[in-house]
Amino acid sequence: MAAGDVLLSVENVWQKLGDAQILQALSFQVRDRVRPGVVTGQVVGLLGPSGVGKTRLLRILAGLDQPDRGTVSGPGGAPLPVGSVGLVFQSYPLLAHRTVLDNLLVAGQANGLSASEARSKSLALLDRFRLSERARYYPAQLSGGQRQRVAIAQQLVKQKTFLLMDEPFSGLDPAALEDVTKLIIEVANMDELNTVVLVTHDIRSALLISDTLFMLGRDRDAAGKIVSGAHIQKTYDLVEMGLAWRPDLEMDPGFPAIEREVKQAFKAL
Amino acid sequence: MTPQDAQVSPATKPERSGPALARRVFFPNQVLGQPLVLIVTAFWVALAVTVWSASPWSSLPGPGEVVRAFGTLWWQQGMGPELFSTLKLILHATFLTVVISMLVSYASIIAFFRPVVEAVSKLRFLGLTGLVFPFTLATGGGYSLKVWLLTFGMSTFFVTAMAQAVLEIPREQYDYMRVLGASEGRIFWEVVVRGTLDKALDTLRQNLAMGWAMITMVEGISRAEGGVGALILNQNKHFHLAEVYAVLIAILVLGLLLDYLMAISVRVLCPHVLLQRVRR
Repeated sequence: MAAGDVLLSVENVWQKLGDAQILQALSFQVRDRVRPGVVTGQVVGLLGPSGVGKTRLLRILAGLDQPDRGTVSGPGGAPLPVGSVGLVFQSYPLLAHRTVLDNLLVAGQANGLSASEARSKSLALLDRFRLSERARYYPAQLSGGQRQRVAIAQQLVKQKTFLLMDEPFSGLDPAALEDVTKLIIEVANMDELNTVVLVTHDIRSALLISDTLFMLGRDRDAAGKIVSGAHIQKTYDLVEMGLAWRPDLEMDPGFPAIEREVKQAFKAL
Repeated sequence: MTPQDAQVSPATKPERSGPALARRVFFPNQVLGQPLVLIVTAFWVALAVTVWSASPWSSLPGPGEVVRAFGTLWWQQGMGPELFSTLKLILHATFLTVVISMLVSYASIIAFFRPVVEAVSKLRFLGLTGLVFPFTLATGGGYSLKVWLLTFGMSTFFVTAMAQAVLEIPREQYDYMRVLGASEGRIFWEVVVRGTLDKALDTLRQNLAMGWAMITMVEGISRAEGGVGALILNQNKHFHLAEVYAVLIAILVLGLLLDYLMAISVRVLCPHVLLQRVRR
């Protein structure tokens, strides 16, 4: 892969739910971001108001649903069948009857890893995500933040290029929020092609860790009435704007301005 | 500290002062420690025995008469072997119920079989009485007839409960496994079979109780083969009420023992369930 190559391509996707057109002519591309000497994955923020169709889009990206029209493809135009794209659901579902370690082992074995390979990868991930002490716990014994980390780790037992996360920042306290943002950056930067797509309406958190922001919204007429399904209304290339990959981004005088601008744009979606 | 210890709530700390203890016992939604649960239970048992002893209906046998009748039944009329015979019948029917009901309930994930599952579930509205003749023709009567009647009676309720448990599995649980890359077979095992095992055990627990409730009717069909159902009907025919109650209490004790064993099996096979249950 060369710098700027397309990793994820969503082309003219249409989706109806009952009579309602949810997604309409939705297209966007995620390209490989390259920084010389640094392994840099992609973090893409997908912002949109509640009910706009974000979760529908996630399900299509994950291969769980097929669009009525249009295509989703990976590097080189390869199709992305279900199971090839990781998805961390908003409620972090886990297998309640299995321990944390067993949850990871199931994920490994479901993906064709041998028992020993799944075990070594699972233990390494638990260590990396500071969950080793919770390996024998059941999901019911975990806090929300710990459940989230297990859910992410489970998706990483088998190396996947794409990880989709549905509202990863919702309901987190400031410390947990900082933890999860670090974790997302770490996951993205495990491999040059890794791409994390965050579906969220937490504008500030999305701005702080994304390299690209897509704003998903519907068209309205002069009276403010919705007249179309959702599609990408605006794209922010934060790398081009000098507002990506910076730990001190919040200190940048340009940050409040872009945050205000995105908030304004969000209100109009 | 074990993971389970970490879950102990401060509300289960031993009660100390009198008012605090009274508040725990009489206020709604309080969590009681084990010693206090035993004390409260003992109080209610003592109250029940007192009310029974002081019953104004002289035609009803008192506790002493029932205890004496129990001794007579046990030592002179072979209640032990009768109980064993009934227990064997119930466990045999329960085994068949579990196998048949689980297969039928799990089949509900396949659209083709859903009408069959619905139909089996609806059969619970039929009483057993009218079914004796066709079941006799099918089984040849005797022990087989009793086993299959009991199996039929229990299965219709078991299928209703388990099919509902399978139906209530959230769609997200299947999608989550699909996203992990699991095959449909693996999803069936993890989500449907393992994921509902606790509910299956709870349903089995309820069905064992139903088996005991149906036993008098089923064993009454062929009294020659004995069993506590036949014993109770014979004693009832002669209006030996003390003996009838003695048998009922024996059934209750055996039922409670089986219930306790089922509770232990849930604890052993599904320890996660205990962590999710809130005791009030």
